[in-house]
Amino acid sequence: MYYKLPEFEYKRAENLHQALDVLKEGDWKILAGGTDLILDMKIGRQSPKKILDITRLGELRYVRAYNGKMFIGGGSRLQELLENALVKEKLPLLSSAIYEMASWQIRNVATIAGNICNASPAADSAPPLLIYDAKVKLSSSSGSRTLPISEFFLGPRKTAISSYELLEEIEVPTLDGYFQWYYKLGRRHAFTLSVVSAAVALKIENGIFSDVRIALGSVAPKPVRAYTVENELKGKEANVSEIERAVEKVAEDISPISDVRASAEYRFKATKALLKEALFKGMKYFGGGSG
Amino acid sequence: MSSTDLERLMNKWLSAQEFYVVGKKVERADTIEKALGIARYMEDYYMRDMLVIKQVTSKYPHARILSIDDSQAKKVKGFLMNITAKNIPGENQVGYSIPDQPLLADKKVRYVGEPVSLVVASDFDSALEAAQLVKVNYDPLPYVLDPLEAMKRNDVLVHEETGSNIAFRTKVRKGDVEKGFSESHVVVENTYRTSHQDHIYLETEASIAIPNLEGKLTILSPSQYPHLTQKIVSRVLGLPASSIRVVVPYLGGGFGGKDDQGPLTSAKAALVAYLTKRPTFIEYSREESIAVHPKREATVIRYKSGADAEGKLKAIEVEIVHDTGAYANRGPFILWRATMHASGPYVVPNAKVDGYCIYTNKVYQGSFRGFGNPSVQFAAESQMDVLAEKLGIDPLEIRLKNILTPGATTITGQVLDSSVGVKEALEAAALKAGWKEKRKAYSSMEGRFRKGIGIGVAWHGISTSRGVPDWSAGTVKIELDGSVSVLVGIVEMGQGSPTSSHRQIVAEILGVPLDLVHVYFGTSDAPDTGATHASRGTGVGAIGVYVASIELRERLNSLAAKLLNTDPEDITIVDGVVRSKKDPSKSMPWKDLVKSAYSKGVSTTSSGYFFLPKGRFDDEMGQGFAYISYSYMVTITEVEVDTELGTVKVLKTYPAIAAGKIINPVQVEGQIEGAFVQGMGLALTEEFKFSEKGEIINKDLTDYVIPTSMDAPEIAEPIFIEDRFKYGPFGAKGVGEMALIPAPSSIANAVSHAIGKRVTHLPITPERVLKLLEGR
Ligand SMILES: Cc1cc2nc3c(=O)[nH]c(=O)nc-3n(C[C@H](O)[C@H](O)[C@H](O)COP(=O)(O)OP(=O)(O)OC[C@H]3O[C@@H](n4cnc5c(N)ncnc54)[C@H](O)[C@@H]3O)c2cc1C
Repeated sequence: MYYKLPEFEYKRAENLHQALDVLKEGDWKILAGGTDLILDMKIGRQSPKKILDITRLGELRYVRAYNGKMFIGGGSRLQELLENALVKEKLPLLSSAIYEMASWQIRNVATIAGNICNASPAADSAPPLLIYDAKVKLSSSSGSRTLPISEFFLGPRKTAISSYELLEEIEVPTLDGYFQWYYKLGRRHAFTLSVVSAAVALKIENGIFSDVRIALGSVAPKPVRAYTVENELKGKEANVSEIERAVEKVAEDISPISDVRASAEYRFKATKALLKEALFKGMKYFGGGSG
Repeated sequence: MSSTDLERLMNKWLSAQEFYVVGKKVERADTIEKALGIARYMEDYYMRDMLVIKQVTSKYPHARILSIDDSQAKKVKGFLMNITAKNIPGENQVGYSIPDQPLLADKKVRYVGEPVSLVVASDFDSALEAAQLVKVNYDPLPYVLDPLEAMKRNDVLVHEETGSNIAFRTKVRKGDVEKGFSESHVVVENTYRTSHQDHIYLETEASIAIPNLEGKLTILSPSQYPHLTQKIVSRVLGLPASSIRVVVPYLGGGFGGKDDQGPLTSAKAALVAYLTKRPTFIEYSREESIAVHPKREATVIRYKSGADAEGKLKAIEVEIVHDTGAYANRGPFILWRATMHASGPYVVPNAKVDGYCIYTNKVYQGSFRGFGNPSVQFAAESQMDVLAEKLGIDPLEIRLKNILTPGATTITGQVLDSSVGVKEALEAAALKAGWKEKRKAYSSMEGRFRKGIGIGVAWHGISTSRGVPDWSAGTVKIELDGSVSVLVGIVEMGQGSPTSSHRQIVAEILGVPLDLVHVYFGTSDAPDTGATHASRGTGVGAIGVYVASIELRERLNSLAAKLLNTDPEDITIVDGVVRSKKDPSKSMPWKDLVKSAYSKGVSTTSSGYFFLPKGRFDDEMGQGFAYISYSYMVTITEVEVDTELGTVKVLKTYPAIAAGKIINPVQVEGQIEGAFVQGMGLALTEEFKFSEKGEIINKDLTDYVIPTSMDAPEIAEPIFIEDRFKYGPFGAKGVGEMALIPAPSSIANAVSHAIGKRVTHLPITPERVLKLLEGR
């Protein structure tokens, strides 16, 4: 591939403080793993004039557990997260999602903040983070603010971050006693972009859905929670007919498009099939129904 | 040596029963280099002072070129020149079957992606930038994209001079199909569709051209036939072939794509080197490769078959339409092969087959592993299952009732005198797969996940067709120290012919240790060995070195007999030891024998040549001698279908091959595995989507989906039926393409079995599966 990269000004930050200082000037585009950005530049989708390289920011690469929450540095490489025992144990949905992302080579350079900030409707780390009600910490030279991830995504490649800010950390509450299920439907079994991805977490107490969380990727302009379906189920008896009825309502939560990967019609069908599978399995997990 | 002497000697080796390297799982010469990543491919030969070439390609499916303006490109610092059709000193004509294709578009473009000019610059960035700045002014013309529509229209012509969009027609007329159908108990008719497929070789097209003294050129060319590259370059430059030297490095995959595009890529590098007198480098990006180079043809095949109550085939009537895109390229040959193989490996008394190769304003079609055969075998093999179902016969039984056996006659009226092992292959594969039990068990599966098992059987004529001359040649030279240099035109593109089977053949015949044999391959310095295509790299490609070695061995036997005081028939040479059979105490080392040859005036060089005897073919009736020999392949495949998501998982396949003597079982196993997985791509995921303007939308590996190792099923150890071919080295036929040919049929038949609906359209995407299940 020999596309001509447009010319740009380049700076490399050695630490977070320096990075935020540069960002203060405005108009700097952050370069992390570059696995989205550089490709975008090669096909002319983006042509930033100024690039700030944050690959050296080791201080953004960590995973910490504290007070029932996990704190993940935005610069963490996907492969590091995949190999992290805490992530695997406490955030099984995120771990499963990353397992199915890209390839070993890409995961070794790609960062989690990059995946979120790129805000593709197909960003695979998004559905799990939406399920966990994760929050993102956005930092600038004048301080930090925290946003729920559901408010962070605004649309295809649009987020609530400003050009002065950097995604420093992701705060992820863990879920205890939940059934957790993740499925990435791609066009082959590895190294592929999602046609539909689904993450589900639920709890059933005394035969009643006490909590249901559903997040979906690639079926709307941004990764979404299927609140309608969730609300249809919460407080209801966990049985096949309730599930089938509720799943039909997913049409109110998603708005898939037809593209080269699949038709909207197929995405609808697949979403419903996946949700039913997850919910039936959840029901079984808690000892209910025959599925 | 007279040709009868030669045939007598070849027969002697053909009947050999004991081998010391042939048939053994020996390691190939390039294993370590490749495993360590030190093997050099085209790109690795790039050097900084080479000029870089970038293609400017058409943005229109059909348009007249009004002017080409490079005034903006000139402003780029490293820019040197923009070369167009006008700069070509020789002929701007590179069509392989019909002279319809320019190297660089002249006056008109016929597909989005067609090369229009070559931007030359001192470095990559400048070449890229300048290529973006070349402005081509077009006058857009009406265009046709659908082959069925193009067939009927004469108002929009891809090539005006032809007066029609039908580039080529083929036919077979055997017996009386009407009579055949009237005698049939069941007649079934279906229309099958298959999609374009890209080779997606890891290494995209590239070439280096270096001007030498005396106006000569040396070209490094990842192409499958060095002598064809030489010929094309010589035509484009108007230079004698002998002033062009072609060397083919290791290819990072060929699959037929570099048989077509390799010479053209080199012609571009050579053209610039010739005009600038400087070394040049061209390499396609992946997107460029997909946009520019020919694909496996998309097809529409209407297939009608009839059988009697017992399941014996009575007649077939087939219409094959190939979408050849903008240029005929090898399309007529591809169509020809599809037509002659339309029956599948079965006896069919009455056959009528019509083939149409149709121009459209899309990327053109070309050679791809299987060469027109996978799609038609998919149609033929689906029909067998449909007939079996209608007749209430097991799919295995109906095949065995009709299968070709020695002495059988093909639909072109060719009698297959020997080397027809397909029946044994099918029986052995069915047994190993547990066909009967599984077929029964899976038939009653219900619920979301359903399994299916399907058979695919295929035949494939080896090497070129009809009376098209075919030969093999190669030089073997024994050096004074006893090591052996072998010179052939066959290339190494992953399959290992020159680095494995050629060495084994030479070593076996001369009796030298394998590690003393070194093959210099893929160069126009070697005698023209023909192309490395059509599964001929070993079965035909090695006949030259086989014959050369046989001749040398005769000389050495005579010399050894004198030295050991016995007669030539009494000499054995095995693994570097020369011995008398009668008196094993009489022996000498190989190296001493070679030294004696040098001192006693026995020539140690031999150039082997063999011209394949062929028969006549009547194009009017499509009857006669079609191929010198056929290889046969069976795959029995198991799948699991998720009936809610429509996804297909290939679980396991059982391959069996009848390809004559297997020179190296490990290499053959590798070819079978790779070909099967490539066939899986054709069957399940690979498909190009075209825009309204005929531009490929998914010209990248994000959205053109080939299988990964995670998708590959378990592939059982292949069954070998060694039905020796009389002219092949030790009786070897061809292997390279084979497993790809029945793979799609076996998968489609398995999916049809699993879901109880007939698959007629490849690839079998989840959406298509759901539509079938919903009865749409
Ligand atoms: C071959 C291949 C396969 C892929 N497969 C998948 C897949 O299966 N699933 C999937 O979801 N994605 C996939 N991707 C996309 C990509 O790898 C991921 O989205 C990755 O996580 C991006 O991270 P990065 O560090 O490379 O981001 P970059 O490309 O460096 O940046 C992406 C965007 O985020 C911004 N950014 C990065 N870091 C920060 C930060 N700390 N603060 C603020 N803004 C920031 C950048 O400015 C840019 O806009 C694939 C990509 C490739 C090339």
